[in-house]
Amino acid sequence: MSAYSLAAVAFVLFSLAAAGFLACGSLVRMLMFLELMLNAANIALVALGPETVSQAYAVMLFAIAAAEAGVGLALIIMLASVFKTLEAKSIRELKG
Amino acid sequence: MILTATVYIFGGLAALATLLMIFQRDPVKAAMLMLAALLSTAGLYLALSAQLLAALQIILYAGAIMTLFIVALTATPAAWRDKPARGGFTKTLGLAAAAIILTELLKVSAVLKTVIFSPKFTETGTLDLARALFGRFAFQFELLSLVILAGIVAAVALTSKRSAA
Repeated sequence: MSAYSLAAVAFVLFSLAAAGFLACGSLVRMLMFLELMLNAANIALVALGPETVSQAYAVMLFAIAAAEAGVGLALIIMLASVFKTLEAKSIRELKG
Repeated sequence: MILTATVYIFGGLAALATLLMIFQRDPVKAAMLMLAALLSTAGLYLALSAQLLAALQIILYAGAIMTLFIVALTATPAAWRDKPARGGFTKTLGLAAAAIILTELLKVSAVLKTVIFSPKFTETGTLDLARALFGRFAFQFELLSLVILAGIVAAVALTSKRSAA
């Protein structure tokens, strides 16, 4: 097995998540696909990097993903209460 | 051989779950498919001898973050009304853009074809990882607590603003 095959697995996951992110209009779904993109980047990091260092960075990325999900979902809950929709197309105002 | 097959099986499962997620209209079913993709990733980490990462993947991603998504879905009735349209131009465009991204990524990483990766199952990785996190990367690791603190403050400030107003 070459490292290229491992990279391909991570890249396919990243591309599928990117496709979902670009194709879905709902904010919750977009955040879900964003998490999956981060997850795929983590796989590439663990699979291709030097063992200990890449795993240490992957642990740090987990923490960043958790913080990102927390802030993202708080934003989404706030937007849902203001605009009564989660469709990205319908949200056009930035004024708070 | 078994580890190589495991990598492909779990990678394939994660890819399949992500693909089905794109075409799933129900948000909770999409969240369950995301859970399947995250659990498959945990299996992938196990095949790559990253046991701690597999455990963290299940606890953090499949546990905490998924719970957060489910709570957010139940707290926002708007999420249930917004059913994405079947098919459509946007979906095709998104898939085409992703195909271009994939082609470019594979082209860029063509140099890896010569690098041979032979997965071996080792159990000492976690100890080395702990030594790296609390030794060499201690400062970076501690800085993460600030990131999480900032995240908590931002989340509380964002959600409490509406109720105070």
